[in-house]
Amino acid sequence: MSEKTLKGRCIVEGETEGEAIVTKDPISFMGTVNPKTGVIIERKHEIEGSCLKGKILVFPHSKGSTGGSYMLYDAVKNCVGPVGIINRAAESVVTIGAIVAELPMVDQVDISQIKTGDYVYLNATEGVVRVVSK
Amino acid sequence: MRLSDEEQRMLDGVYGEMTRKNMKVLVTLGKIFGAERMIKINNVHTPGVSYRVTGDAGLNYVKEASQSVKFKIPATLNTIGIDYENWENVGFPAEFSNKQMELCECYKKMGAITTNTCTPYFVGSVPSFGEHIAWGESSAIVFANSVLGARTNREGGPTALAAAITGRVPEYGLHLDENRKGTHLIRVEKQPETDKDYAVLGYFAGLLVGQDIPVFEGIKSRPSIENLKALGAALASSGAAALFHMIGITPEASRKSDVVRSNVDAVMFGQDEHDRVCEKFYLTGAIDFVVLGCPHTSIIEIRDIAKMIAGKKIKTGLWVCASRQVKSLADTMGYSKMITDAGGEIICDTCPVLCATLTERKYQTVATNSGKMAHYAPGLWNMQPLLLDTSDCIKSAVSGEWRG
Repeated sequence: MSEKTLKGRCIVEGETEGEAIVTKDPISFMGTVNPKTGVIIERKHEIEGSCLKGKILVFPHSKGSTGGSYMLYDAVKNCVGPVGIINRAAESVVTIGAIVAELPMVDQVDISQIKTGDYVYLNATEGVVRVVSK
Repeated sequence: MRLSDEEQRMLDGVYGEMTRKNMKVLVTLGKIFGAERMIKINNVHTPGVSYRVTGDAGLNYVKEASQSVKFKIPATLNTIGIDYENWENVGFPAEFSNKQMELCECYKKMGAITTNTCTPYFVGSVPSFGEHIAWGESSAIVFANSVLGARTNREGGPTALAAAITGRVPEYGLHLDENRKGTHLIRVEKQPETDKDYAVLGYFAGLLVGQDIPVFEGIKSRPSIENLKALGAALASSGAAALFHMIGITPEASRKSDVVRSNVDAVMFGQDEHDRVCEKFYLTGAIDFVVLGCPHTSIIEIRDIAKMIAGKKIKTGLWVCASRQVKSLADTMGYSKMITDAGGEIICDTCPVLCATLTERKYQTVATNSGKMAHYAPGLWNMQPLLLDTSDCIKSAVSGEWRG
């Protein structure tokens, strides 16, 4: 067990916690993720086949279709979406989805410090990410 | 953020709860991205109009708005999930179609113009150079910023809705001069000629720049509007770019020094870089489905397709996707009949990226001239994509296969 604290910028306020799922690939909630199951469906995506349900999703930034805002909102409403988002540089499409879904979100975080399977306590309001590695 | 008296009244709820809520979304977004004020706009293109994108969550969000507000400014609608007038024949499920029509009615009730297309610029919504707008649809955003020189960020469904309700967007990102300069210089050695070539170049650039701004240098012959549409759609699929510049061609890039710092290193786009993108979208063997019109075709594209396919019979499925307005002109010109006589379908209002479903057609392979379609086909519909020139797409439709 080791623990570290990372600093970021608040995008959407709130506190949450969960296991981290981390990718270096950008994500489009239209096309990368199935909003009915929360599973990554984009071929050859680094985390293809993984499920986002209940996870803290860590990725550099969103990409692709502007349909992604409602699709993130839909995934969260369907209870299969992530419970929090950590970005390197927030892009507008996922930011807009997180605002309407009231999903705690931060950016300007050194995401290379977080590994899939780490347990993350996210205080988005304060911009504080506490990472517990196994 | 400094708000005008009118904007503050919207935020204070003077014009009702729904206006307050939507102004709050814009203020929140503006604060995140450092906007100092709101800008008045007069042109919205709304994404998030396909029920497959909104799901019930988005449908309820839009429906709630439609019960108490009207749009303050003109707003066109993006591609929906069905062919509105022909969904039963195309084979879209009734349950989905009914939800889709309900969603469309909600937008219409608020005052939206039901263009149902990803190419609003082909049906009369053409913002002028320097005009501030709020557009969704990743490919249309790139077109508006890059080809027309209008100014929009990448608006998602909820902010486009909020912009239509309030007539405002927060002033940040691409609304500001200082954020419209190129970040990456791409020296184009392998000269693009066809829509496919432009899609390949766009796809390459999207992977390279992420959410930044590529500048293309060295393109020798002037691309068509359709070429630029193909490039932008691919660029915004592999990445999150909203703007590109092409030196000597796009309106903000008369000279290299206008758009890029002199010390930026150039990245080469040659035959190898071209081939590496093509390898991602390549197969040989049976072709089940051919898609043209992603983004929706112009009247010129549909004319060219009609001429190529006239008098032939195809063995594959073929969707030529167009706005209803372009199809109407194609009907008048006889192009539609040439395509349908050959066995193709002209699909309006929707497309294979945003439609309800394609799974019961059991297509396993798709040939297309679109980088966007090739990008989304495997994940969305489990189809292996083959990226070809338009003329080769027609050849594969006629022969039912691609032998390379």
